[in-house]
Amino acid sequence: MSDESGVREALRRWIAETSGKTSMEQLTDDTPLFRSGILKSVQVSDLIFFIEELTERPVDVEQIKPGVFRDIDTIYRSFFESGHA
Amino acid sequence: MLDKVDRARGAMHRGRGQTVLHGDLLDLDRRLDAAFTGWGRRWGATEYRFPACIEARHLDRLDYFRSFPHLATFPVTLEDDKESIERFAASEPCDERGSVNLGELATVEHVLTPAACYHVYVELEGERLDAPRYITTRATCFRNEREYTPLERQWNFSMREIVCLGTAAEVEDFLLRTTRVINHFANSIGLPVEWEDATDPFFSPASNPKYLFQKLEPVKRELLVDDELAIASTNFHHNHFGETFDIFRGESHAFSGCVAFGMERWLAAFRRAYGENSSDWPALEGWTR
Repeated sequence: MSDESGVREALRRWIAETSGKTSMEQLTDDTPLFRSGILKSVQVSDLIFFIEELTERPVDVEQIKPGVFRDIDTIYRSFFESGHA
Repeated sequence: MLDKVDRARGAMHRGRGQTVLHGDLLDLDRRLDAAFTGWGRRWGATEYRFPACIEARHLDRLDYFRSFPHLATFPVTLEDDKESIERFAASEPCDERGSVNLGELATVEHVLTPAACYHVYVELEGERLDAPRYITTRATCFRNEREYTPLERQWNFSMREIVCLGTAAEVEDFLLRTTRVINHFANSIGLPVEWEDATDPFFSPASNPKYLFQKLEPVKRELLVDDELAIASTNFHHNHFGETFDIFRGESHAFSGCVAFGMERWLAAFRRAYGENSSDWPALEGWTR
């Protein structure tokens, strides 16, 4: 998937469904995902798997920097914009 | 290994890194603890004293035995059965190497406290907080390690903690302000320290999503002396404990954070920084009320 709005929409749907604590409508691109308690620490692996599905390439967790899962916007810029992992 | 000099100055080695404190080092421990407890009082923290053991079922709810099985120490008792006890007493209970021939054991349902603050969340289970809650406690904590160094890495050691439960913003404010106080304290006594992002010592970390999370979303910071000895830490737990123990702050599960002080490591830090003679140690005046 390469269309930006499509990727952001897919992330929003996955996070809302995985969390069960928010709706797609409530989830904005800058809603804190872990700090707000929407996602739990044990769900970070599942989030990485989902990003790998969308990008169709593996995520090297040793290379990614702290804070990249802060919100949807940060995830998009870190994993989907050209030139990023 | 501690030697006769250490013995004279207040610390004796008892194996597995355990130390017996007396004299100047014990006095320093008390003064430092008074300072740390005083920082808790600034937040209106209530002081608790918890038992040495915590029920295993509570730690199991936190997935402790998958995350940190290698650190756990379990208290055991003989089976409550007259014949079993008689067999134990009539045998050679303790061999020449000091190993105990235990025989039949009662079911183990407790763990010797691995971290002081776990008791806090158990204590507050089911509570609805209408304001942030601050609690301080000191516990003897047990962590099984591969190697030990007296005062620096001990099987059992003393931990003073100040815990905050509230909203995310309240907990972050608590951690930020307490960090500032610690920095001011260290500066005022000339103790060279640095903060560094850290992770908890997970068993098999590569396969544990919680370890991965701590790497990617740093929630733990350690105060280091000599770039290696962690004497304190700040920990932001998000709403992990609030969810597990059904503690609410307002309409949402409470967030929590704690500041922890490894008491024996502070003593080691003073010896590293100022030397063996207590007359060269900072007086801590004004900090211990």
